[in-house]
Amino acid sequence: MAVPLFVSSFWLRIATEVLMWAGLAQSWNIIGGYTGYLSFGHGAFFGIGAYTTAILMVHAGWPFWPTLPVGAVLSVLCAATIGIPTLRLRGAYFAIATWAFGEAVRQVATVLEITGGAFGMQLPPFLNLPFFYEAILIATILTYLLAYLLLERSMFGYKLRAIRENEIAAETAGVDTVVTKIEAFALSAIPAAIFGGLYAYLITYIHPDSVLGPAITDLMVVMVLFGGVGTLWGPLVGATAIQLVNRLLWFLRGESTLYLVYAGVAICLVVLFMPDGLMGLVERRRVLFRPRENLKALLRQFKL
Amino acid sequence: MELFLQTLVDGLLIGGLIIVIGVGFSLCFGVMHIIDFAVGEWVMLGAYTAFWMVRYLGRDPFLYLPVIFFLYLAIGYLIYPLIHRAVSGRRHNPALMGLVFTFGLASLIKGGALTAWGFHVRSVTTWLSGESLALGVAVVPALRFAGFAFGVLATVAFMLFLKWSKIGVAIRAMAQDRVMAELLGVDTNRVSALVYAMYTGLTGMAGVLIGALFSIHAGMGLKYTTFAFFVVVLAGMGYVPGVIPAAFLLGLLQSFVTVYVSGRYTLLAVFFVLYLTLLVRPRGLLGRGW
Repeated sequence: MAVPLFVSSFWLRIATEVLMWAGLAQSWNIIGGYTGYLSFGHGAFFGIGAYTTAILMVHAGWPFWPTLPVGAVLSVLCAATIGIPTLRLRGAYFAIATWAFGEAVRQVATVLEITGGAFGMQLPPFLNLPFFYEAILIATILTYLLAYLLLERSMFGYKLRAIRENEIAAETAGVDTVVTKIEAFALSAIPAAIFGGLYAYLITYIHPDSVLGPAITDLMVVMVLFGGVGTLWGPLVGATAIQLVNRLLWFLRGESTLYLVYAGVAICLVVLFMPDGLMGLVERRRVLFRPRENLKALLRQFKL
Repeated sequence: MELFLQTLVDGLLIGGLIIVIGVGFSLCFGVMHIIDFAVGEWVMLGAYTAFWMVRYLGRDPFLYLPVIFFLYLAIGYLIYPLIHRAVSGRRHNPALMGLVFTFGLASLIKGGALTAWGFHVRSVTTWLSGESLALGVAVVPALRFAGFAFGVLATVAFMLFLKWSKIGVAIRAMAQDRVMAELLGVDTNRVSALVYAMYTGLTGMAGVLIGALFSIHAGMGLKYTTFAFFVVVLAGMGYVPGVIPAAFLLGLLQSFVTVYVSGRYTLLAVFFVLYLTLLVRPRGLLGRGW
């Protein structure tokens, strides 16, 4: 899939972003969707990848490509550090710990000298959008291939789903749940870090709010939820829909903090009315999307 | 030495105020097994409500404490059915759906506040602002002492309510065994709604004090969400009495790091201790967590 020559750079940029978010959403889906453990600090891995690339290129003079695996390895180490104590406990502890980790990484990036503090870092500019389109396209395809092979077609995927559905039963059936969960979390950190590195080089100027802001995790969560939790294609569908709407709003309203509101409203509505996401609607396996009955059920709950 | 004592007293006073947030949050978890990611946002909303009420109605923010309590009580009572819907029903992993819901709620409130009120830093003045109080060896701002006193009073009142009132007994029964409580005739749905409502009410009220003590801005919720998490993890999730030592510990940690290291590192220190606790004593310092 070469770069489509007939499209303008405008659409190429949007396609690049959609692909990147599809990959990021899939990375969250590995731990949040397939395993059922919510990582509310997943944006931190994206930021770690971005800052690793930036620091190695600016301060150490590395070329671009070797920085990506370094970021991925660092993210895996961080994931293991967070996962080893908290994945033994209930999911609530994990959610708290990952959230705290995400905020801690942002604080670190704001405080340290090497990351440029709150002002951020300027990378050597390389303004070649078709290059980034192809790189991100390949990274996304690899992420989905990895997810397909490991989660849909292997024992590992069955183990994860067993943990999600009933952890005690999985343990009884001989799954080493703690190790499997840590593996899943470490695995989910890799794509996030790689996309972080690519994104840093793409936008060439990064600061704590742009690559470590709360919106990144928010968007990953909402995209997966909207598309369908724990499905292979859900993140792609969700990321495409949400990112296109996001860009449209950006044109209509300009850059504003309103996206946090949209993301929040979308998360709440999907949880309440469409817990299986768009893929659930397509597959019609579980609850159908019936607005009237859902609304009635909700109103019934207000009669406390 | 003087600085040390001053820091010590400051830390203890702040800790007293944080107890209020921790108690409601911890009880909320104990009864409903829900972590409210919006906890800091309720603090922020409480502070802002006080700010706007003072701006438009005048008078002292402390006068509005009961109003704000009942306002957030009502808001929490109205939001609870949504949470209940998120955690019940035919979906895999209901507890996680509850977490996602409160996470979305936090994002929504924070984004709304940032959009509506911008990044300005605001403050309210009370009749105690600028006054100070000699407390033994240390001189403390009267406002800090008021925050501490409020924290202790609200906590004691809440504890007494839990101990002696009929609903309080039902709440404690539910925290011990939800199914058994339901079998014995407790309307678990209504009690959960009340717990959530009281938690939002208390947290909103604490927000007024926090807003008067420090500055008010739309992004302040982050810090107090962190504090609430820190307190409940150190206390042991769902173990309400553990909140008191944990909150004092947090106050001391915060004030000592601010004075002796730098204000920029306070949150990092908090995260670090939180991580260490999860690593070494995940069920809380007292080992009584859930």
